[in-house]
Amino acid sequence: MEIVKKISLFVLPCVVFLVAIIIFFGKKSYFESFLRGAKNGIKSSFAILPTMCALIVSVSMFLSSGIEPIISKYLSPILGFLKIPSELFPLVLLRPFSGSASIATFEGILEKYGPDSLIGICASVIMASSDTVIYVICMYFSTTKIRKTRHALPIALFISFFCVLLSSIVSRVFLNMLFN
Amino acid sequence: MIGKCFGALCIISVAFAIFSGNLEGINEGILSGAQKSVTTTLSLLGIMVFWNGIMEVFKDCGLISFLAKILKPVLKFVFPRAFKEKKGDKEITACISANLLGLSNATTPLALNAIEKLNEGRNSDKATNDMITLSIIGSSCFCLVPTTVIAVRTAMKASITYEIIVPVWIVSGVCMCLGILLSRIVGKISGDS
Repeated sequence: MEIVKKISLFVLPCVVFLVAIIIFFGKKSYFESFLRGAKNGIKSSFAILPTMCALIVSVSMFLSSGIEPIISKYLSPILGFLKIPSELFPLVLLRPFSGSASIATFEGILEKYGPDSLIGICASVIMASSDTVIYVICMYFSTTKIRKTRHALPIALFISFFCVLLSSIVSRVFLNMLFN
Repeated sequence: MIGKCFGALCIISVAFAIFSGNLEGINEGILSGAQKSVTTTLSLLGIMVFWNGIMEVFKDCGLISFLAKILKPVLKFVFPRAFKEKKGDKEITACISANLLGLSNATTPLALNAIEKLNEGRNSDKATNDMITLSIIGSSCFCLVPTTVIAVRTAMKASITYEIIVPVWIVSGVCMCLGILLSRIVGKISGDS
């Protein structure tokens, strides 16, 4: 496992190193290319700001209105039916919307139930293998005029729910294998 | 869709805050949310600028076309239209390679690039099937090393730390494949725009 960590630390510097070699030894002026690309980067980051602003404000309102614990309470029996630990519900609800809120919830779960418990492992797997899908999809389309994203959001949300289901199954098997 | 999401979240929150008398909380939420959107964008700005620059160099020196050749057999199935019309195929390849390498910060600007390219010359407000597939891959978050989760677990003194990548790879791999498959199937049934 240490090797994986080392390799992952190498990826980023190696990419930059490769570019540096190309710029230094290249016959064309590749630094011009770099600057041209960088300029486009400024454009796209400001183009996503309005979408981000609307979304972050709405999510922040949702979290501070105090409705989330109530929704959790009423929907947790459904999770119990699917054999997903109901303690994970706040995480399941927040993960598609908010990165910072889901990290905070994730830490809370690990603290309360222990990182090596089934709930802790399951929460970690959910956290690592799903993303804030609503942000990602809104952001990807925000620099174009596209407003109708058709089946993108339904599928992405379904996948993030499926991810929870699969996580709880895989985590059970994983813990069994580890301690047998 | 995005507008509906925004509207639904706001209506539910305000209605509930008034109903439960939690107006102070929601005021705070509105103000801090607007503030946070700027800090988030600014914190992304540096990465966006740098990675767009790096990828432009890769594109200009032909590395991306080389990668595209290798990945083509797989990507041709996932993004049929882009590879058939040879429009946006390079941008998609750049985005997917960054995704596979686990450079998640670099993926966003590259994906924006790819979608802009795919949208060039179109005058519709509907997304094409290829764009949708790309956004589903981007949101399925396949990463080689889930650093944040491992860091949090280590901080909590967990005995299982790096081993967690095994279930994570299984779950995120399966989810990504299923996402691609579903997107292709639904796209085929509903037709392209």
